[in-house]
Amino acid sequence: MQEEYKKGILDRLADKFVDALGSFISLFKKDWKRRNRSKMEEWKLMLYALNRSPPGLIGLALVLVFVFLGIFGPMLSPWNYRFFPSLYNPDTYLAPPGSEFTLNVTELRNGQFVNYVTTIKFPLGADHYGRDLVSLILYGARVSFVISIVVIVLGVPLGIILGLIAGYYGGKIDELIMRITDMFLAFPALILAIAFSAVLPSRLQEFISSHEILKQLTLWLFALKPQDAGNLGKLLAVIFAMIIVWWPAYARITRGSTLTEKENLYVEAARAIGLSSWSIMFKHILPNIIGPILVYVTLDFGGVILMEAGLSFLGLGATPPIADWGRIVYDGSQYFPEKWWLVTFSGFMIMLVALGWNLLGDTLRDILDPKTRRSIEFKVKKAKQMEEGEENA
Amino acid sequence: MPEPILEVRDLTVHFYTYAGIVKAIEKVSFDVYKGETFALVGETGCGKSVTSRALTQLIESPGRIVGGKVIYHRDDGSTVDLLRLKEEEIREIRGKEIAYIFQDPHASLDPLYTVGYQIAEAMVVHGTVKDWKEGFKRAVDILRRVLIPDPESRVKNYPHELSGGMKQRVVIGIGVSNNPRILIADEPTTALDVTVQAQILDLMNKLKEEYKTTVILITHNMGVVAEMADRVAVMYAGKIVEIGSVDQIFKNPLHPYTQGLLKAVPNPLARIEKLETIPGTVPNLITPPSGCRFHPRCPRVMGICKEEVPKLKEMEPGHFVACHLY
Repeated sequence: MQEEYKKGILDRLADKFVDALGSFISLFKKDWKRRNRSKMEEWKLMLYALNRSPPGLIGLALVLVFVFLGIFGPMLSPWNYRFFPSLYNPDTYLAPPGSEFTLNVTELRNGQFVNYVTTIKFPLGADHYGRDLVSLILYGARVSFVISIVVIVLGVPLGIILGLIAGYYGGKIDELIMRITDMFLAFPALILAIAFSAVLPSRLQEFISSHEILKQLTLWLFALKPQDAGNLGKLLAVIFAMIIVWWPAYARITRGSTLTEKENLYVEAARAIGLSSWSIMFKHILPNIIGPILVYVTLDFGGVILMEAGLSFLGLGATPPIADWGRIVYDGSQYFPEKWWLVTFSGFMIMLVALGWNLLGDTLRDILDPKTRRSIEFKVKKAKQMEEGEENA
Repeated sequence: MPEPILEVRDLTVHFYTYAGIVKAIEKVSFDVYKGETFALVGETGCGKSVTSRALTQLIESPGRIVGGKVIYHRDDGSTVDLLRLKEEEIREIRGKEIAYIFQDPHASLDPLYTVGYQIAEAMVVHGTVKDWKEGFKRAVDILRRVLIPDPESRVKNYPHELSGGMKQRVVIGIGVSNNPRILIADEPTTALDVTVQAQILDLMNKLKEEYKTTVILITHNMGVVAEMADRVAVMYAGKIVEIGSVDQIFKNPLHPYTQGLLKAVPNPLARIEKLETIPGTVPNLITPPSGCRFHPRCPRVMGICKEEVPKLKEMEPGHFVACHLY
């Protein structure tokens, strides 16, 4: 039994990480590390608890890989997603995994045609344009990553703010906000998102085309080539549609927590010292209820990615040649099962990422909830004492 | 002639619940004089806390202040009706001129902020200090004044790191941080154990002398009243039944309810066979008893008690009672 609770490599890594983090904060706040020793100890215990949970570690690893691919994927990609090998060698059309072809490329560079010969490898096969699936998945990671972040960053605070207002003020304001929320929740989220992403694109396209800076920024965010500026409208429509269906759940959760939290005496005490409603809501109530909401957010990242893939699969959102996992599955489905690799590999990526976020969220819920964490911490502490005892002996 | 600082007239608060309208307090009137300690006593649910909160419009939905006036005499001699003030105006007065101390110190501090932060916050909102830095500095002084040992390090503690008595000192510190003219203490010692209670009461008396604050003390503990109060108002079922100086109330209680309340306090010197109680329970305030609200429990009930609501009558100078016996 003793072996089980001994500090492993991961625990030592956690120690180092928290220490480094403490030193880093100390650079900005004097003496932070010395003063917040107990807080750092708490963080370490949380990480130990995470280390004791294999699903959590797998989830964390998957999420870290996804974040890494989301940020650096397009830069690591061996081929540009707008490079169509089947133009130069028809054999690359739906080439199977592991094949290799020679391309005789003619390209327009600085107004002159350039001719060169190159070889292309397809570790995971090629799509119907002869594009390398590895490159497509790497570009697609960025699209999924940006969409999930944008939807969460815009949708969640919107829901939280509305929920706080509804819960805190109560009465007619509460009724108004919550009935609107109910209207949105009455429709299945996917159906509503389909409706919005089908209606919005043309307006958004007009808007984005008339704002050069915004257009460049969006292209840069999604790692798209300027030629795809005309396809941004549909991509943005999906984001908007998902924000619209995403906030109501958070408004509900936040309202519920606010209702219980505002009954606490310290909220009344805050009113009695003359604080305004806004500072009570954002300084006293929100920090006290944010924990469960954050856990919900981690669980929801997977949901956003799944829904985005679902919408793309239905032909909404990213238009070819933009690389998007859901779209690749859709395009590949026409050649399935003879050309199985398109559907399998991109579908597998979607599954891994959604799984990763879910495992991580589940574990975070256990770790962040003091009640369930205590039992894990108790074991860790005992192990620590045993270790210290050994060192002394 | 003592100078009034607060004149409460016909204050009425109703709660609009699904079960019906709860008439929590009905036409409550009293005066509070400058520099005194005014005690509001009565059993649980009689409307003491509601009265105190209504003074600065701290009543939350579904409750509503239905009528009445709270005339507040400001420092410059002008008067203002606190119930007519807008939200922003009353916020200026809350915490700065009229401060509260609540019953449960464990719940009245936000668990996520250090006590220093919470004391400084009270001063920063009202501009008593020019910035947070000065606020934290002042917070140390305040902690020292409420007799917390080692205030320099305590100021950085979170509420869970303090004991109940210390927390209540911090709450009192927040209350007095802006040198309020009126301090409303809502059962400040109920959640504490007896030894700590005495310390807290001593501290409150000391601070009252120091700051010349007027204190409105809400309690159900007759011992605390005798120890602290100058004048006492006895409430029953949302109405004031008797007002008088502490001597008048304790030596010559006129209302049968006050008499019962005093009899219910055990005398430590006498041998007690059985504790005295007032029979019955507090009436349902959705449909309060007709006439005098105490008549179903009153040992000296008469026919008129069921029909007519008794008015406050002055029996001796400063001693008012609402009872048909007199």
